[in-house]
Amino acid sequence: MKAASRTDDFVPIHLYGLRRGTVTLITAVAILFALFILAPLVWLVINATKTQANVYQSFGFWFSGPFRLFDNLSTLFKNVSGVGVYAKWLANTVIYALVGGVGATVLSALAGYGFARFAFRGSKAVFYLVLSTLLVPITAVALPLYLVYAKVHLINSIWGMVLPSMVAPVGVYLMRTFIDASVPRELIEAARIDGSSELGVFFRIALPLIVPGLVTVLLLSVVAIWNNYFLPLIIFSRNSTYPLTVGLASLSHAAETGSKSELVPVLIAGGLVTIAPLIALFFVLEKYFRRGALQGSLTG
Amino acid sequence: MDHKTALRTRPSASAQVQEQPDVAPLPRRRRAGVRRDGYGALFVSPFVIALTLFMIVPIGYAVYDSLYTTKLIGGTSFAGLDNYRQVLTSSQFWDGAKRVAIFAIVQVPLTIGLATFFAAVFDAGVCRFGKALRTIYFMPFAVPAVVASVMWSFLLLPKLGPFSRLADAIGFHNTNFFSSRLIVPTVILIVVWEWTGYNMTILFTSLRSVPRTVTEAALLDGASLWTIIWRVKVPMVRPAIVMLCFVNTVGALQLFTEPQILAAFQPQAVSFGFTPSLYVYNTAIGSAEYNLGAAAAVVLGVLIGAVSIGSMALRRRSGEFA
Repeated sequence: MKAASRTDDFVPIHLYGLRRGTVTLITAVAILFALFILAPLVWLVINATKTQANVYQSFGFWFSGPFRLFDNLSTLFKNVSGVGVYAKWLANTVIYALVGGVGATVLSALAGYGFARFAFRGSKAVFYLVLSTLLVPITAVALPLYLVYAKVHLINSIWGMVLPSMVAPVGVYLMRTFIDASVPRELIEAARIDGSSELGVFFRIALPLIVPGLVTVLLLSVVAIWNNYFLPLIIFSRNSTYPLTVGLASLSHAAETGSKSELVPVLIAGGLVTIAPLIALFFVLEKYFRRGALQGSLTG
Repeated sequence: MDHKTALRTRPSASAQVQEQPDVAPLPRRRRAGVRRDGYGALFVSPFVIALTLFMIVPIGYAVYDSLYTTKLIGGTSFAGLDNYRQVLTSSQFWDGAKRVAIFAIVQVPLTIGLATFFAAVFDAGVCRFGKALRTIYFMPFAVPAVVASVMWSFLLLPKLGPFSRLADAIGFHNTNFFSSRLIVPTVILIVVWEWTGYNMTILFTSLRSVPRTVTEAALLDGASLWTIIWRVKVPMVRPAIVMLCFVNTVGALQLFTEPQILAAFQPQAVSFGFTPSLYVYNTAIGSAEYNLGAAAAVVLGVLIGAVSIGSMALRRRSGEFA
C-alpha cells in the first residue's frame, strides 16, 4: 500500500522555518487532547479496583482504599444479583462476533469478487442497490427485524443476531475495491484456460491474493458486532442471550436503581473486561484497522 | 495450480485467441462470456439473499405493519395513514428531530475540525510523539458506545465526579452536566471523544497519500506551514472530508446509545423522545405500540435517506464525485 509505505517519509521540519516554540506549542495541544482521550480509560482501570464508597468519594484519577479488583472481577463472573452472568454475556459476544464476522467476511468476499470480476446481467443495478443500503439507518432496520422475528420465532435466538450481522454492505464495497486492485484479470483468465472451475479460480487464485483485505473486513465486522447495542437490545429479552453491551446496560440500571450495594465497581470492572480484548486486538493488528479506515474513506 | 504456471500459460493463450479464424467470433465469445458471467450472479447471490431476508423484507413488513393498528379489544385493523399522522403531529418526535439536528450541526464540524487539525500537524511532522499520539487518539474506536457512556456518566457525575469537582475548582459551582441546559453539550462531548480519532486516522492516511513533492514545491514558493496545510494539502483531501461530514451526519441523526445509557444514571435528563431513535425504541419496545413504532421507524428512515440523497446531490452538483 503506497500510503502506508510513505508514512515515515516526512519533509524535514526545519524547512518550514517555524518560529521557536511552535512545535512545542502544537505538541502541548496534542498531548492535552491525548489526556482527554486517555482520561476515561485511566479512570476505568483505577476505579475497577475500588469499593463502591471510594468510587464516589475518593479522587477519581488515583487509587484509594482496599484493592478490590479481584473481588470485583469475581463478583462480576458470578451471578450478579440475578441480573445475569457476565461470563455468559462474554461468551455470547465472542460467538456473535466470530460467527457473524466470519460470515460477513465470506459473504463480502464472494459478492465483492462477483461484482469486481463478472459483468452479469443487472450487476450494476444490484451493486447500486447494495451501496444504497449503506444509507439505511440501523434504527430503521432493527425494529422491522424485531417485528419479523416475532412472527417467525427468532426472538432470543442466536441466529436472529448473527444472520443480520453478516449483511455488511461496507464489506462488499471494500472487497470489490480490494479485488479490483489486487487480483489481475489475466491471472483469472489463465487459470480458466488451464481448466480450473470458477469456484476453483476463486479459492486458489483470488483468495490467497486478498488475505489482507479479508483480515480488514473481518476485523471491522468483529468490532462492529462486538460494539453493537441497538439490535441486540431490541431482539433479546432473555438475560442468557445478551451480549456484553446489553448486559452492561442492564447492569447499569441495576447498579443505579437496585438495592444491592457494591454493584457500581462491579459494573466498572465489567466495562474494563469488555474493552480489554478489543484494545489488545487493536494493538496487535493496528495496521489492518488503519487500512480499513482508509478504504472506508474511499466509499461513495 | 500455482500462480507461476498461470502466468506462464498466459502468452500462449492469448496467441490462440488471435489465431482464431474470423468466422463470426463475436456471438460465440459473447455466449461464453454470458455463461461465465452468470457465475458472477452465483458469487453475489449469498449476500443478496441475506440482504433481502434481513433488510429488505423486514423493512417491507414494517411498512405494511405501520398501516395497521392493534387494540387490546378489537384486534388488528387497517388504519391507513393514521399512525403516520400521529408520528408527524407528535411534538415529542419533532422535539427529538430538532435536538439531533442541533446536535449534528455542532458535533460534526467540531469532530471534523479537530480531526483535520491533528491529522494535518501529524502529517507535516511538526508535532512530537506523533506516532504514539495517533495510536492513543484511535483507541476509542475499540470502545463500545455503551462503555464510553458509562465512563462519562461517572466522570461527569454532579458534585462527586472529577469533572464536576474541576468545574467547581475553577469557579463554576454546582455544575450539573446532565441539566436540561447542558445535556446536549455533554452528549456532544462524549461523541467527540468517541469519533475524533477515527476521523483523524482517515484524514491522516489521505494526507499521507498526497505526494511529498507537492509540499516541497510549495516550500520552494515560500509558502508557510499554515498556508501549505490549509491552502494546499487540506483542499487536496476534500473528498475525504466531504465523505466524513456525510458519514458523521448520518450517524448523528441516529443518536441513540449515548443518551439511552445516560438515562440509566440520570433519568430526568433524557426524555421519551430525546432523539427520534429513542422515540422509535420507547414507542415500540417500551410502550409495546408496534404499529406506531414501525411508522416512526419508517419516517426516520425516510428523513435520513432524504438528508443523504440531498447532500449527495449537492456533492454531485459541485463536481465532488470523482
